Amino acid sequence: MANPALGASRFQPRASTPATRRRRKLLVRVAIAIAVAALFACFVWPGTGSFISIFSLGLLSSDSDGLLDTVRYYDLSNVQGTARGWEREERILLCVPLRDAEPHLQMMFSHLRNLTYPHHLIDLAFLVSDSKDRTLDVLIERLEDQQADDDPKQPYGEISIIEKDFGQKVNQDVESRHGFAAQASRRKLMAQARNWLLSATLRPYHSWVYWRDVDVETAPFTILEDLMRHNKDIIVPNVWRPLPDWLGGEQPYDLNSWQESETALTLADTLDEDAVIVEGYAEYATWRPHLAYLRDPYGDPDMEMEIDGVGGVSILAKAKVFRSGCHFPAFSFEKHAETEGFGKMAKRMGYSVVGLPHYVIWHLYEPSVDDIKHMEEMEKERVAKEAEEKEKAEKEKKIKEQFGDTNSQWEKDKTEIQNLAKEESKKEAGGDAGKSDSQNTKDSNGAKDEAQKVES
Amino acid sequence: MARPMGPVRLRRTNPVTVIIGIVLCTFIIYFLSNSGSATRPTASKSRNANSKPVPKSNLAHIRRDVQRFNLNHVTITKDPIANHEAVLILTPMARFYQDYWDNLMKLSYPHELITLGFIIPKNKEGNAATTALQAQIAKTQKSATNKFRRVIIERQDFDPPLASQDESERHKLENQKARRSAMSKARNSLLFTTLGPDTSWVLWLDGDIVETPPTLIQDLASHDKPIIVPNCYQRYKDDSGKPAERAYDFNSWQDSETAQELAAKMGPDDLLLEGYEALPTYRTLMAYMELDEKDDPRAEVPLDGVGGTALLVRADVHRDGAMFPPFPFYHLIETEGFAKMAKRLGWQATGLPNYKVYHYNE
Repeated sequence: MANPALGASRFQPRASTPATRRRRKLLVRVAIAIAVAALFACFVWPGTGSFISIFSLGLLSSDSDGLLDTVRYYDLSNVQGTARGWEREERILLCVPLRDAEPHLQMMFSHLRNLTYPHHLIDLAFLVSDSKDRTLDVLIERLEDQQADDDPKQPYGEISIIEKDFGQKVNQDVESRHGFAAQASRRKLMAQARNWLLSATLRPYHSWVYWRDVDVETAPFTILEDLMRHNKDIIVPNVWRPLPDWLGGEQPYDLNSWQESETALTLADTLDEDAVIVEGYAEYATWRPHLAYLRDPYGDPDMEMEIDGVGGVSILAKAKVFRSGCHFPAFSFEKHAETEGFGKMAKRMGYSVVGLPHYVIWHLYEPSVDDIKHMEEMEKERVAKEAEEKEKAEKEKKIKEQFGDTNSQWEKDKTEIQNLAKEESKKEAGGDAGKSDSQNTKDSNGAKDEAQKVES
Repeated sequence: MARPMGPVRLRRTNPVTVIIGIVLCTFIIYFLSNSGSATRPTASKSRNANSKPVPKSNLAHIRRDVQRFNLNHVTITKDPIANHEAVLILTPMARFYQDYWDNLMKLSYPHELITLGFIIPKNKEGNAATTALQAQIAKTQKSATNKFRRVIIERQDFDPPLASQDESERHKLENQKARRSAMSKARNSLLFTTLGPDTSWVLWLDGDIVETPPTLIQDLASHDKPIIVPNCYQRYKDDSGKPAERAYDFNSWQDSETAQELAAKMGPDDLLLEGYEALPTYRTLMAYMELDEKDDPRAEVPLDGVGGTALLVRADVHRDGAMFPPFPFYHLIETEGFAKMAKRLGWQATGLPNYKVYHYNE
């Protein structure tokens, strides 16, 4: 040790705690006491719940429960709808009007399962009206299955089923549905149903509204994103339907998406206030360019076309369109109703209405009464043809049997002759005879067939 | 002096530092909690209110049940209280008036059947109105009694049109279209996002209506009309200082032939407005109607245009699509256009000339 004196003092046992240490201990005790008192006060004093919420990171909210349950604050400028809604967690309200739709539900749910837009951001709204089949029961069953799915990505957001009967007098079968006379009142009733569904389910947190018919057969899984990317106020794809081969394989289905034409405007001026122009009927020749007819199977699916009337099979619209009052007129609005009137009204309010001519979804093919008749006829013809062929075959067999003896006789004779010929060391002569013989039998059969045809 | 290698031993903490730390912490916590509750109560309310409905990814996998609503069972009758019919009171609000709120609280219709909906523009004045409104709502909704079933506050997603404070008549007429178009959009936004599946009646009540009979909802509903509008008056002090009242809302009227002729000559985007000298319509205004039964508050008149200061509408009418057109609809806009659209859908408006509500007097 270099300094023994210092060392000696360092290792001396302390007689008492130094003054500084004592002071510090006291301070710590006082601080702890204050902290405990403050904490205690927090729990005891009323109206200081915020202390607790700070410490518990807001997990224990005490007095604001009443407010939380009953008061809501929404800033509508946060739900405008953008081109990449799935990244900004924008909610979509998916509306499906249903009537006697039981047979189509399975198909619809397979589409719902496959949608790629995050399911928890989609609220489903169904309107079940005037249904005589088990639409409602099947719908509930399927929805419950969907919500209980093992895949955590399957369940949807809020699901509402609205039941309302409008006392529909119009039949839903294909013929009466598409007959010209029934169109105006049918469209007005459809419009009413759509408005009821929307007004009961649209909420301030929805950014988009998607209308989808239940009877869409084929559609891209990414349809929501595909349509949203265009960032238009209202956008519709092209709707076609597949057809049996004898009808040409495919056909434009939705003729309600069109551009306005001068002819139609002039026509509209001549019509009565309550008249409704419907597309696709000879009664109103409007000469409008239809979205459906402009399809090119190899065209750019992102190509846009400005339209004035929209079809209702698949409409994606920003919720602000509906919020600002645009709806499906259940009256004659500028001589149009329902979805066509919706397009007209949206245009009137300055919104962009766009169709995608080369982006196609496929509507279910339901044969019309005429088609069914035609198909029945075809079926009959086919059966008749088959029967005829069968008869023919039988006849041939019979003939063969009847003439079988002669045939064998011929054969016998042939071989004898052949033998004779062989004996005479000539090969070809016998073969020729056989050929001409068989030719003869065929001819006679043909003649017989013709005779039969003439008889029948 | 050279130090041997090894971990640096920190200097002993000065007790003064500890004290300062504790004091600071106390202050921070104090101010945090204070700003949350006492000094700016509205901020906390809006934060709280916001926390639940806004979709967040952590809510992604909450499984929601299927909700069923049978709208066939929603009744709309003369006697709404007996049938427990839900009423939606909608108020587009530019400024908050305490008298409005007090009057609202006095309504004798059971509050647990009433949903309130407000829409407020996003400007300075609107922020002030929101703050004042939220303070009142917080007071009411925290109390155990007289609580409303639900309160929804919305902020407009579009800018209010440039508010020209110029009182010049000509200027006003030109501005009227933009102003009322924005008003229509605000009304529609509020209506279509708050109309629930179980709503039976919608009462439109402007933010500057400061006096109504407490039985307003029952009285109007008892007429069993699809659209019914009381007469809107304003109380003031006349030159001699005596209290008097004068007609305020001129949007409730019966159409005239002159007005029809004027409309026929107009372009599709022109408006036929009421109360402007440039457009003499000679419509019969409910505000000045002289009835034989002067004192009967139940006297009814059919109307072609309605005002929106106070207006009771069957929910059906709105559900069918009757809205406040933000564009000229048959040369009419907003509430007047609404009456026309409802008529096109088969619903007739009715006025009560002797049943009065009172507008705030500036």
